[in-house]
Amino acid sequence: MNDKLNNIIQKQQKQIEEPHKKEEDVIQLVGFIIGQEEYAVPILSIQEIIKPIEYTRVPSVPDYILGVFNLRGSVIPLIDLRRKFKMESVRQSEDTRYIVMKGRDNTAGFVIDRLTEAIRIKSGKIGPPPETIHADKGMVYGIGMRDENILTILKVEALLKRDF
Amino acid sequence: MEDIQEILEDFLVEAFELIEQLDQNLVELENNPDDLELLNSIFRVAHTIKGSSSFLNFDILTKLTHHMEDVLNKARRGELKLTADVMDVVLESIDLMKALLHAIRDNGNDTSIGIDITDICHRLDAISNGDTIPEASPVEQSNIEEVAAPVFEEESDYSQLSDKEVEDEIERLLKMRKEEDKKRRESSNAASTAVASTSAVTKSESEAPAPRSAPSKREDTSSAASAPVKKEAASAMEQTIRVEVKRLDHLMNLIGELVLGKNRLLKIYDDVEERYEGEKFLEELNQVVSSISLVTTDLQIAVMKTRMLPIAKVFNKFPRMVRDLSRELGKQIELEISGEETELDKSIVEEIGDPLVHIIRNSCDHGIETMEARRAKGKPEGGLIQLKAYNEGNNIVIEITDDGNGLDPDILRSKAIEKGMITEREADGMSDKEAYALIFKPSLSTAKVVTNVSGRGVGMDVVKTNIEKLNGIIDVYSELGRGTIIRLKIPLTLAIIQALLVGAQEEYYAIPLASVLETVRIPLDEIYTIEGKNVLRLRDEVLSLVRLSDIFGVKQVYENSEHAYVVVIGLAEAKLGVIVDTLVGQEEIVIKSLGDYLQGIEGIAGATIRGDGRVTLIIDVAALMTLAKGISVDIRASAEATVKVKSAPSDFIVLAVDDSAMDRNIMKKSMEPIGVKVLEASNGQEALNMLKSAEHSIDAVLIDIEMPRMDGYTLATEIRKYSKYKNLPLIAVTSRTSKSDRLRGVESGMSEYITKPYSPEYLESVVRKNIKL
Repeated sequence: MNDKLNNIIQKQQKQIEEPHKKEEDVIQLVGFIIGQEEYAVPILSIQEIIKPIEYTRVPSVPDYILGVFNLRGSVIPLIDLRRKFKMESVRQSEDTRYIVMKGRDNTAGFVIDRLTEAIRIKSGKIGPPPETIHADKGMVYGIGMRDENILTILKVEALLKRDF
Repeated sequence: MEDIQEILEDFLVEAFELIEQLDQNLVELENNPDDLELLNSIFRVAHTIKGSSSFLNFDILTKLTHHMEDVLNKARRGELKLTADVMDVVLESIDLMKALLHAIRDNGNDTSIGIDITDICHRLDAISNGDTIPEASPVEQSNIEEVAAPVFEEESDYSQLSDKEVEDEIERLLKMRKEEDKKRRESSNAASTAVASTSAVTKSESEAPAPRSAPSKREDTSSAASAPVKKEAASAMEQTIRVEVKRLDHLMNLIGELVLGKNRLLKIYDDVEERYEGEKFLEELNQVVSSISLVTTDLQIAVMKTRMLPIAKVFNKFPRMVRDLSRELGKQIELEISGEETELDKSIVEEIGDPLVHIIRNSCDHGIETMEARRAKGKPEGGLIQLKAYNEGNNIVIEITDDGNGLDPDILRSKAIEKGMITEREADGMSDKEAYALIFKPSLSTAKVVTNVSGRGVGMDVVKTNIEKLNGIIDVYSELGRGTIIRLKIPLTLAIIQALLVGAQEEYYAIPLASVLETVRIPLDEIYTIEGKNVLRLRDEVLSLVRLSDIFGVKQVYENSEHAYVVVIGLAEAKLGVIVDTLVGQEEIVIKSLGDYLQGIEGIAGATIRGDGRVTLIIDVAALMTLAKGISVDIRASAEATVKVKSAPSDFIVLAVDDSAMDRNIMKKSMEPIGVKVLEASNGQEALNMLKSAEHSIDAVLIDIEMPRMDGYTLATEIRKYSKYKNLPLIAVTSRTSKSDRLRGVESGMSEYITKPYSPEYLESVVRKNIKL
């Protein structure tokens, strides 16, 4: 009887501990497409994702800063990731979204072509960024290997850092 | 000296707050003598007051609180039991402490009232040493008389009172003060519980010292004389709550949101009013909207007022400064201050001090002449500097007037040339007023010798920078030999401002109204070019001109008309004419920061959210003036250069909007003879998107009225909202023939109205006429 009880208790204990273990090596990301490639950012750094709204141009800033927009009373800069990555900009489509990311002391909206999905990836499957890509700006956190494709995981703090 | 005064004020405010709390605690302590928390808090009060008073050199108060602290400390540690006898002594000492504090408030020191504390200290010591408490001895009485006598001499026949009467008098006055305190508290509509407990306190306090003696007749007359004096002193101390500035800032931010909401509501009401004219609910909506907007405005003013400080805080240090300076310079100078009760935002009060110091120093040193010089000119020997503050609309004006020598524009000009700041030609073209402005240039000083007061040419530069930071304007008026007036005009608050909204092509910007001097509409041919700069002659002044769209690199989407709107902005002493394409109007805006990411963009001071939810950037006028110097575009030439390149009919594009494909085809067919390119859209929304994207430059639009998603009237109204489409021909093609339909067409902005069925030739001719082919 006592043994049985112990067994059950141990099992329960295991169940409680296990998901914690799992979460530690799984990273949750949100994937999106810019141009041809799939990128991702950690889900926790995303404040919200909204459909495109009107923005106001700000003079004398680099061209990848489209301007500022009104997010429920806050004035937030809007950055075109296509232009930031030196890609040609395109007209906004039905799928275009603004991802509002929040860093330690900055918040900004980023224009992306379309969202893909929420991604859970084991940290073991994330490799270091290849030195050639964006290495100068340190915007890439790592490359996520998935079954069918690879992901470029972006460093949010670097994206939110003013570089002009 | 002022610092000490300020510390003293803070100390008093704090001490009286603590005492009020003490009153409550003491009553509770009588009921539960074992409550350690209460004891602790009473101990802390004694300790705090001791600390502050020793810092301020109030020796008597320090000594008293020190002894109290000893007793309370023991009681707190449980080494001493608080019996009724001990409490009596503690209470008495607290009463004395209050009397001392009142004395400090009224006289500025704790000695003149002549309260003796030797006896009470003895008794407190006795308690803390565990001895039996000596009776309130007759020694105490004589002591009081000794010290008290000199004070009471001032108040006439007090000295004749016996010891006992003197003490009674003190006691009585104290009670009176308590009564006043109580009344004040009651009037400040404190919570009813608080009132109840304070009255209880008064009762218990008056019980403790009461059974000493009965008042005598003589006192009545003497106290009647002294009462009004005391009362005045009491009401002079205002009831205050100290609040962290951060909380006020937060409150201000919330109000900001509210103002934005209000603006939005007003805009929506305007839209709705147009659409549902005459409907009954409009009246109700109108009432709600106006009452909300009224309350919001009041609320905003009320919160702004909580941040306001009287300018006296700054002005008060000047009399001393002027006295010192006049002695140092061997001049006789009088300072006259008025309007020191004028209030302005705390952050501005902090910024305004330095500039004023520099201006007044300058007036003393350069403005006012020496006594001999004044006598020789037939002026009174003593110079006069007037410092005046008053409100003017949403601004505060500070005027510094001296009756000294005045500024000599010629000397200023030649000095500036000497230093290589301006060329001789520039100097010749300079008006006197512009020459006065030279005093704000760094490193220009008119003083012949550098004294340690002024003459290094730094001060006035500081003035200019600080005032510009506050969005203020400086005006200098001077008359040689008669004196100088320097006028500073500063907005009352920095968070919510009045702004002029202007349009540059399709973009909108807000210019702080405080910096806008006037707006004028001028024909383009009044703009002249001098050395590559555009200028305008406005009355007797020559004004530099710059186009806002050139400064901010706004995309040129439509041609300039023959007239231009010029917004004349002024900051400190500089002026600039800014050409804008539209004047939207004046609005109250809330300044929001652009955040860290976009901080410090040249020419932009911040952003605001308008009634329609869009973000509008606020112009940094000081930076704009600097930016304008780097722009050299010949405005007239660029306006005259026509952008029109279309010549062949095939260059022209006509957009046909109709939900029926057949109707679109008929339109297309009718226009074939002209040879224009025809684009199609099946509803208003689609057409609007095509126009918005500006992918094609469309020259005319044919619009059917009845369409799904967006009808023709709405489409026309929407199109007309874009200033670049103000003159785009919109041709309604519809089977609606009634007069009211036609009228609606005109109202929504249609340029032509064709009814179906129509002959192809007729449509063709109408289109030809409109695109001028």
